[in-house]
Amino acid sequence: MINLIFNLLMIFLVITAFFMVFTKDISNSVIALPVFGVILVVIFVILQAPDAAMAEAIIAAGLTTVFFVITINKTEY
Amino acid sequence: MSKINERLKKLHTIALVVALAVFLLVVVYEIHNLDNNSKRYLSEHYISEGVRETGAINLVTSVLYDYRAFDTLGEATVILTAAAILSLLVPVSKATMLGTKFSIIVYQTTKFSIPFLAVLGVHLIFFGHLSPGGGFVGGVVLSIIPILLTITYGVEFSESKLKPAKKKLVEDIGAIGFILLGLLGVVTGSNFLANGQANFGPGNTGELISAGLIPYLNVMIGIKVGAGLAIIFNSLIKEK
Repeated sequence: MINLIFNLLMIFLVITAFFMVFTKDISNSVIALPVFGVILVVIFVILQAPDAAMAEAIIAAGLTTVFFVITINKTEY
Repeated sequence: MSKINERLKKLHTIALVVALAVFLLVVVYEIHNLDNNSKRYLSEHYISEGVRETGAINLVTSVLYDYRAFDTLGEATVILTAAAILSLLVPVSKATMLGTKFSIIVYQTTKFSIPFLAVLGVHLIFFGHLSPGGGFVGGVVLSIIPILLTITYGVEFSESKLKPAKKKLVEDIGAIGFILLGLLGVVTGSNFLANGQANFGPGNTGELISAGLIPYLNVMIGIKVGAGLAIIFNSLIKEK
C-alpha cells in the first residue's frame, strides 16, 4: 500500500514539475510551486526525513512563493 | 519555415529536460549503490556515537551544530551579508506596492494565524535538539510573521509594528552571539565552536537544558535568520 502511494506521489511530482515549466501563465507556474512542495513534503515523511520535510514545507510554501509573488508584483505583469 | 523553427525550439527544450533527467538518474543510481563500498565509517560513527558525544537526540542537529558547526556559521554569514548589502544598496524611499484590496477574510485569517506562527517558530527553535526542526527552520517561520503583515497590511504598518532598526539590532545580536559562543570553546581549552569535545557536559539527554551549547546556538541562529529574512524582504519590497 505504501509503495503504491509512494509511486503515485512520484508521478504527481513529475506532472507538477512539467506543468510548472511548460505552462503559459506565469501565475499558474508560481502557484504550482507550493503544490510541488507539498507533494515533496509527503515523500520526505515517507522516506523518514522529518527535518528535510519541515524545511521544505516552510521554505517552499512560505518563503519562495512570497518572493515570487512580490517579484511579479514589481514587474507590473 | 517559422513553424518548423517553433517546433524545433519546443523540441530543444524537451530534449534539454530529458537529458537532465537521464543525468540525474545516473547520479542517483550511483549514490544508491554507495553502501556497497565501505566508505561510510563517518556516518556510522555519527549514528552510533552521536547521542553519547553531543547529548542531542536529533542527530541532524548534532551534526549541524556540533560536528559541522563551522559550516553553519558560514551559512548564517551568507544571510547576514545579503541583508546588510540589500539594506545598504536599496534607496530609502516610499514603498510602492501595486495595490490589491483583499477581502475581510484575508485580514482576519492573517490576524488569527500570527500567534500560532509565533508559538510554532519558538517551539521549533527551543526544541531543535530534541525534535525535528532547528534554528534555521524556526527562524524562517518567525520571519513569515512580518512578511504576512507586509503583504496584507502594507509596509508602513509592518514597519511601525516591527522597527527596522530593532530588526537589525536583533540580527547583529544573533551573529555576534554565535561567534562569542564559539569562542567559549577556545576559552575552555578546546577548538573553536567545540561542544562535545569541550567539558560543558552533555547533561541529562532528553531534557530542554542539555547538550551543552546546542540550545543557545539554536536560539542565536533562529533570531538571526528570522530578522535577516524579514530585513531582506522589506528591502526588496521598497525597491522600485
